[in-house]
Amino acid sequence: MNLRWSFPPYPVGFVSRDTLKEYIRGNDPISGAPLMDEIFFALTQPLTKEEKHPRMVKRPQRPRLVEPDTEENLHRLFLENGWTDGLPIILPTEERVAEMLTGTDHKPDEVVGMMSVTTHEERLQYTVERVAVNAVMAGARPEHLPVLLALGASGRPSLPSSTTSFASMMVVNGPVRDEIGMNYGLGALSPINYANSVIGRAWTLMSINLGDMRPGATFTATTGTTINYNNMCCAENEEASVWEPFHVRKGFKKNESVVSLFRGWNVMTMGLGPSQRMLEVMRSMGGPFGGAFTFLCDPLAAKSLKAEGYDDPAKLSEWLVNELNPRFKRPDAVNFIVVGGETNPMWVTTDFSYFQSSPIDPWIPKAGIKKDPKPLRMPVPVMCKDGSCGIGH
Amino acid sequence: MSKDGKKITVLDPIGQPSGIFGSRLNPDSVPWAIHDPVNQPRDTAEKLEHLNMAPRLDNLEGKIVFLVNTGFAGGKEFIEELDAWFKENRPNIKTEVRHKQTSMFTDEPQLWAEIKQKGDAAILGVGG
Repeated sequence: MNLRWSFPPYPVGFVSRDTLKEYIRGNDPISGAPLMDEIFFALTQPLTKEEKHPRMVKRPQRPRLVEPDTEENLHRLFLENGWTDGLPIILPTEERVAEMLTGTDHKPDEVVGMMSVTTHEERLQYTVERVAVNAVMAGARPEHLPVLLALGASGRPSLPSSTTSFASMMVVNGPVRDEIGMNYGLGALSPINYANSVIGRAWTLMSINLGDMRPGATFTATTGTTINYNNMCCAENEEASVWEPFHVRKGFKKNESVVSLFRGWNVMTMGLGPSQRMLEVMRSMGGPFGGAFTFLCDPLAAKSLKAEGYDDPAKLSEWLVNELNPRFKRPDAVNFIVVGGETNPMWVTTDFSYFQSSPIDPWIPKAGIKKDPKPLRMPVPVMCKDGSCGIGH
Repeated sequence: MSKDGKKITVLDPIGQPSGIFGSRLNPDSVPWAIHDPVNQPRDTAEKLEHLNMAPRLDNLEGKIVFLVNTGFAGGKEFIEELDAWFKENRPNIKTEVRHKQTSMFTDEPQLWAEIKQKGDAAILGVGG
């Protein structure tokens, strides 16, 4: 990278002035050289030939196949190489990957995009086949592949490296939700739905393997977050929502299938009450960067907010931002998604920013979503309304 | 799938290293263009250009060095202490302290233009 760097000791934040003085008078802990000498060197030492004429690094092509081995040894290899999330995977055999590739009409060697979990580090390029490999590993089926390719096309990792430990969220809109059996109702964020589980997991496996995630080197999250396992993968409950679907508010047509991506840190569940209460929670969560928020509203909460006068969530965003901090007037920094099974008029507050929406339809086969003869589906939540479930009140 | 010790073949899950480290399409691209498929869809190594580093100075005596706080925690205090170090130890070097107005994640073309116009060198810090 064509910059010159020096490193003071860490941390720099929340230490005394005397400590900072010591840092400046002391050594770069990486090189061991005096920090100020390094800075003067960086500003005055003539550029090297390489710095004057930077060239693209040529990398050898990675092999398509891993050296053959036993199933047991390969599971160990994937785990010990850091190619998984630590949970068991499905080994991506040629047969399984070939089957996964039936989930799209795109050619296996088509380049989907590039990704890096660290913004200034080298990005990895990946094809349709490499996305399919990671889809197999996550336990996905061909019907899920178009969503995963849309995630890949975004170039956005679910594990963006930051010492502050980023979390990500992905929300699917449009007809594909029902085609692949995603959950947007009761327990949409719970581990009770096959599609939500494997798609969310696959995004993280893609980020590890296609985004060059190496803990301590390219990935620096100090505590990390368990949200990284599944990325709050869900769909929007468009049918029960009193508002226009999220993707329509972002400029897509209602019949388009889209995956929208968010990133932040904190998730606070069990929000109850009117918009005034939302404002109070936002004030309590507001971060150092002015504040971005995405609310996950149960359909009942959305109805209540509409009854307050917010027939368009944009109006609610406008009001909240004005009340929170008119100086940073960015209504687009406050977003609303409708998710849930209408068992409680609650909302979940996140400090997540909305980044982008990636179209899914271009990755769906012309013949439609490739479903198994009998698609894998977990039990659909059934509300017990007559006492037959045996729970007495 | 065989569990009797028979060898099987699986595919490599890792992406292909591109050799692209934070390069941009051109100097006027927004800093995050390299990460933005809208600004740079399906880019390839051949389409990218490097930004050139500025020539180095012979020395800093009598020069104006901008000290820029990028906005991470402790950056303001660190840059102020750096400024104090220059004043105490290298008084012949003139320093100008600046703080990014929004955040470490945003571009500030006006600040870069000011540094180009008035400054001889710049030190940006500190990463978080």
